[in-house]
Amino acid sequence: MVINIAVGITMACSAPQKSADKPATGADSAFSVALLTPGPISDQSWNGGAYDGLLRIRDSLGASVSHIQTKTPAEFEENFRQYGAKGYSLVFGHGFEFQDAAARVGPAFPQTVFITTGGTRTSANVAAMSFAFEQPSYLAGLVAASVSKTGIVGCIGGTELPPVKSGFAAFAAGVHAVNPKARVVTAYLGNWDDAGAGKEQALAQMARGVDVIYQNADAAGLGIFQAAKETAGVYVIGSNSNQNGVAPSVTLGSVMIDLPHAFIAVAREVKAGTFVPRVITLDMKSEVMQWVVNPALLPVIPARTLHMVDSLSRAMRDGTFSLSFPPRPTGNP
Amino acid sequence: MSDVLGDFLQASVRTATPLALAAYGELVAERAGIINLGLEGSIIAGAFGALVGAGVGGVGAGFVVAALAGCAAAAVVAVVVLWLRANTIIAGTAVTMLALGLTGTLYRALYGAQGAALSVPTLGPQALPWVSSIPVLGRALFVQPVITYLLYGLGLGLWWWSTHTHAGLALRATGERPAAAFAAGISPARVQGWALLFGGAMGGLAGGVLVLAQVGTFSEGMSAGRGFIAIAIVVLGRWSPLGVAAAALLFGAASQLQYVFQSLGWPVPYQLFLALPYLLTLLALAGTQRRAAAPAWLGRALDDDAR
Repeated sequence: MVINIAVGITMACSAPQKSADKPATGADSAFSVALLTPGPISDQSWNGGAYDGLLRIRDSLGASVSHIQTKTPAEFEENFRQYGAKGYSLVFGHGFEFQDAAARVGPAFPQTVFITTGGTRTSANVAAMSFAFEQPSYLAGLVAASVSKTGIVGCIGGTELPPVKSGFAAFAAGVHAVNPKARVVTAYLGNWDDAGAGKEQALAQMARGVDVIYQNADAAGLGIFQAAKETAGVYVIGSNSNQNGVAPSVTLGSVMIDLPHAFIAVAREVKAGTFVPRVITLDMKSEVMQWVVNPALLPVIPARTLHMVDSLSRAMRDGTFSLSFPPRPTGNP
Repeated sequence: MSDVLGDFLQASVRTATPLALAAYGELVAERAGIINLGLEGSIIAGAFGALVGAGVGGVGAGFVVAALAGCAAAAVVAVVVLWLRANTIIAGTAVTMLALGLTGTLYRALYGAQGAALSVPTLGPQALPWVSSIPVLGRALFVQPVITYLLYGLGLGLWWWSTHTHAGLALRATGERPAAAFAAGISPARVQGWALLFGGAMGGLAGGVLVLAQVGTFSEGMSAGRGFIAIAIVVLGRWSPLGVAAAALLFGAASQLQYVFQSLGWPVPYQLFLALPYLLTLLALAGTQRRAAAPAWLGRALDDDAR
């Protein structure tokens, strides 16, 4: 335990890696946008997607942008305050875990709009994006169950955040819709960085017969892809960004959030002064959430499943199919 | 049954390998009287060095650059502590923080925001003839990457070296009574410097194992606290090479137990499983004898007139 604490402290001190492109000079400066990520932007997943979104805002709206990597909740608040004090127009806290800090800091900087990508809290200048992970995760579950030969599929997450959990629950519902007898085992790594732990957890699941793994562990997830590459007949489903290119020979598809799309839409509103704080629900209808199949592995997926996924995903985009299922137990609570 | 057990033991040795490498490095530093908290920094520097080296010259070059990078991180600690006489704990912590930040920054500068992906050549397990067919233990100990076999040799070599050679005696004397070592014509500061560099190289190799024998890529912060765990392993192993091997194996096995328990899908909060390796380590620490085994001068600064 002591070891854990020591690590926490060093990480906390080491984390802020600032990459300010054009620092804003003050409240009267042009449109300025900041992003706080909980992990490295080289994860090709949750954080990488957000950074792409920030760059898109810079390029399309001419905003001056700044990014900072945070680690501990204490830093979330501290960094929100820094950007608020510098007069940033819009600050993204990238994740469910930022919502408490945003709620506390918001009232002190009424000129700044704080948005957390996850959560439900809103106030005069604090809003939340809510991603419908459930929809594409359900489709991923359909695919996983029809590709699995053993009838055992796995979920591996970083930590048990509510969006991660609900995505896994929807995935399990999709799996059971195809194969009611299938088993879904869920594991969490306890962090989002330890790619070695990701690999070992994946290998442990494979030893129990798991042959399709839905991963949502950001940088640590790279180890899960590596484990699948080294084990014949095992597939991975990526998440948060289009991860089909990470390991094209083993990745069935990705539960993708088009973060640039989501970021730029809200940044436009803020820039135009038309932004109304609310919970911004982003789903397959708004095309922010997508299920992206990996074309290289299409032959592995039964045609019947592809057809079903296609028609369901069209219905989700039209808004004619809404997912309502009781959250099912997925092995771990 | 033996297959499940064999799998488990093989995976335990695999998980223990980087920990044991780093712990051997720390063991030598602590035997010379220095607690090197920069070990975590050496590991992450080694991991990044492995990525760069392997990209240029393959797996072998990756390990060489990993060791050099780990060594470089430790050299900073050595200069600051032995030359500028700063506090060891603070210097080590600073180097760890610096290395974690610097590797992330360099990684982005060299590989862009997209990262290196899974492009690194890796070292697969290499079964040794004869011994690998021993039931259960054969696969666990002798179907491993080559670096693990080098680790076995290192453990035995360290044990022999520290008890049978003049240099080994000088190392231990420095950690016990540097003034006495000085009186015997040994330069404690020089011994500590070499011990730190060796420890850094071993930490670097541990990072190299993570990249070149396990994950196949670098990710920022992938050392994930292994340096601190290695320091705990040295304490748990009572500052002896064989004890350190046993402690690293215990920790590797406990981590694997955690993975296996989670993959069984038992309805127990996962945090309990994650805490398991640390709980077992605490129990093992509490269970060991309280006889003093630490080098007597561990963590104390050298006298100004006997360096």
